[in-house]
Amino acid sequence: MLIDAHVALGPWPFAPLPERTAPQLVAHLKSHGINRALVSHLGAIFLPEPMPANRALFAAVCRTPALLPVPVLNPALANWREHLAACLAAAQIRAVKIIPAYHNYSLRLPALAPFVAAINAAGLRLIVATRLEDERHRYHALAVKGLPVAQVAAFLARFSATHMVCSGLYKPEIETLAVTHENFSADIAFAEWLNTLAVLTQKIPARRLLLGTNAPLFETRAQVDKLRLARLPARTLALIGSGNATRLFGL
Amino acid sequence: MRIIDAHTHPVFMHDGATPAAARRLVAHGRAHGIVKMVALGDVLVHGRLPSAAQCRRINDETAQLMRWHPDYFLGFCCLNPTLGARAVEREVERCVTQHGFRGIKLEISNNARDACMGAVMAAARRWNLIVLQHTWSQTNIHQRRFHSDPADTAWLARRYPDVTVIMAHLTGCGYRGVLEAKSLPNLFVDTSGAFPEAEILDFAVQELGAERILYGSDLPIRETSVTVGRVLGARLSAAQRRQILHDNAAKLFRL
Repeated sequence: MLIDAHVALGPWPFAPLPERTAPQLVAHLKSHGINRALVSHLGAIFLPEPMPANRALFAAVCRTPALLPVPVLNPALANWREHLAACLAAAQIRAVKIIPAYHNYSLRLPALAPFVAAINAAGLRLIVATRLEDERHRYHALAVKGLPVAQVAAFLARFSATHMVCSGLYKPEIETLAVTHENFSADIAFAEWLNTLAVLTQKIPARRLLLGTNAPLFETRAQVDKLRLARLPARTLALIGSGNATRLFGL
Repeated sequence: MRIIDAHTHPVFMHDGATPAAARRLVAHGRAHGIVKMVALGDVLVHGRLPSAAQCRRINDETAQLMRWHPDYFLGFCCLNPTLGARAVEREVERCVTQHGFRGIKLEISNNARDACMGAVMAAARRWNLIVLQHTWSQTNIHQRRFHSDPADTAWLARRYPDVTVIMAHLTGCGYRGVLEAKSLPNLFVDTSGAFPEAEILDFAVQELGAERILYGSDLPIRETSVTVGRVLGARLSAAQRRQILHDNAAKLFRL
């Protein structure tokens, strides 16, 4: 039983990746032992406002209970409250995702104060996507950089009462943030080193790590094996593989 | 499943150079099915331009690993080609005749097109060594003065068709890198480095054939389960996986 906290549907314009339907994605994940997944739509990254992609997401997963929709919102847009209300009305959601770097705002954005308050009031978990890809060799015309870890740290300090999920952090970034901040969990999609999880759990409690494959951008088997073959107690693997997601997203 | 890892750094930033650390690494590798590792040395520990003495120290550490585990580690000789032909020739001869090294590892001292590569390729030819060239797309990195783009490594392989060259880091080389390598039968690509980005390995097999791709991890920077898993997760036949994970390296390194 695994839960994937970092999966996407939809087209990725910069590589010939598989564009799966929701049932195909369920079958794909199941073939790797993943029973449930939190899914966003890649279209929300690039469209001028994310709702068309969110609506496509809701429509795609409405008959696949294994896929839990995570809409992407943009608090830099004037009508984010309207978008949040539309998402809450459209589907049973457990979390919303923000992608500041791709949506051209920083985590210092003043609107994030009412936004985080509204997310908390709605009983949702906030997922902060800090990066989506390796910037060294991606599409040449994209200038978007991953969120600086100092900016993430300031954000965590500013909203210290909110426990959020940071997605896309590198291993050293998780370790750095874990020293001073307890109000975040992280998926492991971008965390890698020899014996990743054994090393990482020395720096951050296992109850704050989540399986995330970053499919379809990353190879699912590779990401699952990072967890499956880690030399850790079964209880720890179960926490990272599903227990923490169950707790954090109220599944 | 038997695997040969064609791209490892068992000693990395001074870490891993003790007998106990080497034993742990061998146990780790064996647990993942890795029967041999190509040890490339602690190549950046002294920066991108190591002196002759620093190259010797790096290579001596690799030789030490080979003495501790002669059935497990294959050594490649770390060089700084900008030190000149004499330094290159002397260090290659020392590594081959004294330590039995099987190849040459080039990092980012210079670009693969630079004139100083002549001595490196002559030494590779003389001692029948494989040349593993660190390579990454320079489209976004902009360090081409000393950092080789896939086009540069392809140029090197084209210029020296009788020397076998490995273009390191498939994902960093990208689709363009695969296409640069396509027409060059003496140019292999290793799968090391970067995150396990989907589809690029499938594309490389489609364009190059499985027989010109070598499994590599870039350990310890990368996780073995992930780097093996990306091969196992690609849409390949069992025979193609076996070629990439083991057989191609066994043939290339004459094991």
